[in-house]
Formats: sequence, structure tokens, C-alpha cells
Amino acid sequence: MSSTAITLVTQRKPLLKLEDVFKCYAMGGEEVTTLQGVSLQILQGEFVAIVGPSGSGKSTLMNMIGCLDVPTSGSYWIDGQEVSRMKDSQLAEIRNQKIGFIFQSFHLLSALSALENVELPLVYRGMSAKARKEQAQHALREVGLEERMHHRPSQLSGGQQQRVAIARALAGQPPILLADEPTGALDTKTGLEVMQMIHTLHRKGHTIVLITHDPQIAAQAERVIHIVDGQISHTEVMQA
Amino acid sequence: MKLSQAFKMAWKSILSNKTRTLLTMLGIIIGVSCVILLVSVGQGATSAVTAQVQGLGSNLLSVSISGRGVQTSVSFEQAQSFQDIEGVNAVAPTVSGNVQAKNGNKNVNVSVEGITADYEEVRSTKVQSGRFILPIDVDYSQKVALIGTETATDLFGTSNPVGAYMMLNGMRFKIVGLLEEKSTSNNTIKIPLTSAQRLLRSKGIRTIYMQAQTGDLTSIVKARTEQKLSQIFRSTDDSYTVTDQKEMLKTVSSITDTLSIALGGIAGISLIVGGIGIMNIMLVSVTERTREIGIRKSVGAKKRDILLQFLIESIVISGISGMIGILVGLGGGVLVSQITSLTVQASLNIILISFGFSVFIGVFFGIFPANKAANLKPVDALRYD
Ligand SMILES: Nc1ncnc2c1ncn2[C@@H]1O[C@H](COP(=O)(O)OP(=O)(O)O)[C@@H](O)[C@H]1O
Ligand SMILES: [Mg+2]
Repeated sequence: MSSTAITLVTQRKPLLKLEDVFKCYAMGGEEVTTLQGVSLQILQGEFVAIVGPSGSGKSTLMNMIGCLDVPTSGSYWIDGQEVSRMKDSQLAEIRNQKIGFIFQSFHLLSALSALENVELPLVYRGMSAKARKEQAQHALREVGLEERMHHRPSQLSGGQQQRVAIARALAGQPPILLADEPTGALDTKTGLEVMQMIHTLHRKGHTIVLITHDPQIAAQAERVIHIVDGQISHTEVMQA
Repeated sequence: MKLSQAFKMAWKSILSNKTRTLLTMLGIIIGVSCVILLVSVGQGATSAVTAQVQGLGSNLLSVSISGRGVQTSVSFEQAQSFQDIEGVNAVAPTVSGNVQAKNGNKNVNVSVEGITADYEEVRSTKVQSGRFILPIDVDYSQKVALIGTETATDLFGTSNPVGAYMMLNGMRFKIVGLLEEKSTSNNTIKIPLTSAQRLLRSKGIRTIYMQAQTGDLTSIVKARTEQKLSQIFRSTDDSYTVTDQKEMLKTVSSITDTLSIALGGIAGISLIVGGIGIMNIMLVSVTERTREIGIRKSVGAKKRDILLQFLIESIVISGISGMIGILVGLGGGVLVSQITSLTVQASLNIILISFGFSVFIGVFFGIFPANKAANLKPVDALRYD
């Protein structure tokens, strides 16, 4: 058993690599350093949780990993490409092709139906309307919301909205899924459902980075990275 | 992203924000329709007045003698001799005054003009029924008359005045012609010049209309006429004035131009106010929509995708409202011309200019703030609230 697990791990290639990443903000003339030299690697197909107290820089780190923000210094590679040197339009392509986001506050467009929200990443890929619709419907089916696809976000419960957001994240089949406290705005039961879904996606081969401050949720990951004051304090490898 | 998809997205966004869309549209509609309406009224007035001046007669010069000292007028023969000035086509001396016109118990005070046969051509005044004054009427001081439409109605009601008789200061005149509708002659009676000299007891001629052979000749003819008059009046050159129609047109057009500029100015202000309204709404809506821009960017929208969406949105909104503005402006023009007596004349130029300007404003203020938001990093746009 354990020997197969080891060969599995050695077969996995590094997908994300951060090296000595700093992030500074200018706050009223004063410089605030939120990330202080973070270096880490995440392997293809891995399920990593990032935990730490509030304000420790978890979201900042995730935004960096998801190419929503760029490091002040340090370098970052995805799949061997150096992201930290890319132009805005290239970053947009990386987000579009490689990354799916699940945010704590869902971030759905209120004027669009569930289906249209899920289609959005595919729209920016330039897919045809028909293929887009099929793929988006498939994603909604996977999160069990196919019959609600014409509802607006305001007509859905919080758990349903988060499932729409998950469908949007996986509609384009990106290799990397990033979730920033995805259960933070949900009650325990719907939170569990969402976690079930994330496990399913992991089994299907997605690389998952999950941010949480809940140790129980973190314990479900393969590896837990602890962050304190913008630095990695230690890493735990969990026994499956 | 494909263009057709960008169109669909923009359309969806227009429909899903009705208040914003309506407010933006209102600004453009008001601006465009005001410009079209006001400028049309101005241009209508200009062309109406110009037509009136031109209706006085073509290539027209008029000599008016105010008189100083011994000689206060010219004689009929002297006036007729102006005919010999080089470049003159025809001459129409007149005398005028007011008389009491009577038919039975109907009685009006009306202005009478004594004219010659050439008046018809020089002043382009025609009869709609009957005949004009003939040279023989002037030679024999015939008691015949032409009557303007309003005076005819005053004296004869709806019955045909041609062939009827009326009394002018107690003298009996036969009406031989009914003048055509023309604002300057509706309230007049015209009789042979020699008859008028008797009726009004004034021999001297103080007004002479002259027609130059071509429009280019009017100023030369004017100079020659002035020379001739200076011989008659022995250099007291403030005894007479010669004006040509071109000068009158210039005066008129300087007045109507002022009118047009004033109206156009008011209209321009309304266009600018509308534009500021659009700017305001677009700025507010982009602030509102920064989070939307952040979400779109997080799923892979590039800056140009965002700009394309906003560009199409603002073009569609401004274009549709510009067209509504044109319709409202033209409709308002029709209404104004029906309710009031104003002439309204729309011009394609103004329609195109006001449409183009409002669409430009709409697009500029649609793109300018959107550009700002599209430049934000996705993380900053998402955080926005
Ligand atoms: N745009 C910003 N400008 C200034 N300070 C920021 C900005 N974003 C985050 N920070 C600061 O960085 C620190 C880490 O924030 P964050 O990554 O959101 O923490 P966490 O997600 O772990 O709670 C906080 O102190 C926060 O105030
Ligand atoms: Mg956070």
C-alpha cells in the first residue's frame, strides 16, 4: 500500500512553484509587508490546505497563486512558465485556462442566470455558444443544479450559489482549483456538501489549494501549510 | 471573445439595468431633440424672411426720396427717364397714401399705391383673377383698381370683387383684378399712377422701384442711379437713398443669423447638460460595476474584452437614444409649425451633427471610466465596494 503511495508521489510533477515571494502595500505612506519571503511547491493533483490566523496573508497568497495579483518581488512558475514576468493579457489567459476560483462570497454576477455565470470563463475562451452551453450544463449537472440553471443568483440559497460558483470554476476543466474559505459563508451542513464536492474534484485529478482557518477542514487535505505573519511556519503531511 | 458575443453581453447588460439605461438615454434624447427643434425654428425663420425679401421682386432696387428744401420729389417723367440708365430692365414709380374705401355700408381705411404696368414685373406682383393695370389705364387716368385679398374680404365678403365697384374717398373705381396672396399686398389697393396723383392730390413721386437686368448689375445700376439723382437734387445727397435687394438680404440675414446663433447656443447648452448627465451616470455605473469587472477578469476577461463590452454598450445606448432624439426633435418641429405660425425647417447637417456629438459624448464617457476600471488588477477590482 505505502509503496504505491510513494511511487504516486514521486510520479507527480511540481505544478506551482513560488520562490521567495514578497508582497508589500503602501498604506498611508507606511509600507506593510503582507508576504515575507514565501517559498513553496505544489504538485500536480495535490490537495493542499493553507491555514493561519486572520490577517496572516492567506488570501494575499491565494491571489498571487491565482494570478489575480502580482508579487512585489520573488518569482512564481506555473507548469514551468514564469508567471511573475507575464503581461496582464497573458495572466488573463492563465486564469482563463488553468485556474478555477471559488471565493468565500461566491462572486457571481447578479444580472446573469446560473447557466450564464457558469458559461462566463468559456465566453472569454471564444467558444461557440452551443459548445459553451453544453459544457456549462454538464458542470451544473455535476454540482446537482441542472434544474436551477435559469435562476438568478438572488433566487438561490447560499449553498446553491456556492455550487454555481464551483460549477463555474470547473466548467473550463482547469487543472488548478483555488478555494478561499469556500465554506466560510455557509452553515455546517451545506459546508460539508461543498467539501464533498471538492473531494470529488480532487479524485478526478484537479490540483486543489484550499484556504481555511478551520483545522477540521484543513485536516482533510493531503498537506497543510501553516502561515503566520506572512511567513510559512511549518508544513504537515497528513496521513490518508 | 467574439464580437457577436460581446454584442449579446452588452445588450444583456443594457436590459438588466433599466434605470441606468433610461437616465442615460434621457440625457441624449433631450440634447439631440432640443438642438434639432431650436435650430429648425431658427432656419425656418431665416428662410421665411429671405423668401419674403426675395418676393419683393428680383434684382430689385428701390429709390426713396425724402426731399430737402425746394425739391421734395421727382416728376413722373423724370422717374420714367430712369429707364434709360444702362443696365435697367424696368422702372416702376409709385405714389402712395391712405384712403377710405367703401362698398355700400362697408368701410375700411386702406393704403393705396399708384402704379404703372411695369410694377407687375418689377415687384413680381400678380393678379389671381382679372387683369393687371395696363399702360393705357395710366395714360388716361382710368378709374380702375386692383384689390388685395384681405381688403377684398373686408369690402365684399366672400363674393367675387372683380368687376365690382367701390368708392375711394368718394371717387368710384372699378375693380379689374384680385391680387395674389402676398403678405405685403394683402391689405392694399393698387390703381393707375396718374389716377392716384389725383386721388391723393400729390403729383410728386417719392418711391421708384427699379429692376436691374441681372443680379450682378444691381450695384452698378445703383451707382448710376445715385449719380443721376445727384444731378436732379444738385448734390444734396441726403435727399434720396437707393437700396438694393442684396443689401436688404444682408441686413435680414444678419438678423436671422443672430437668431440662429442664439437658438443654437441654447441648444448647444442643452446638449452639454445632457452630456454631463451621461458622464455622471456612466461614472457612477462604472464604480458600481467595478466588482463585475473584477469577476469578469478573474475568469479570464482581458482588458480589451472589458473595453469592448463597455464600448458596445455605450454605442448602442447613445445610438438608439440619438435616433429617438431625432424623431422627437422632428416631431416637435411639426407640432410647433402646426400650433404656431412659425416656419420650421430641419436640416440634415444639424441632425447629423447633433447625433454625432451625442453619440461621441455617450461613447467617450462610457469608455473613459470603464478604461480606468479595466486597468485595475483583478484583486483590487474584486475588493471594490
Ligand atoms: N490591498 C491592500 N492594501 C493594503 N493592505 C492590504 C491589502 N490587501 C491585504 N492587505 C493586508 O494584508 C494583510 C493580510 O491580508 P489577507 O491576505 O486578506 O489575510 P487573511 O486572508 O489571512 O485573513 C492584512 O493585514 C491586510 O490588511
Ligand atoms: Mg482572507
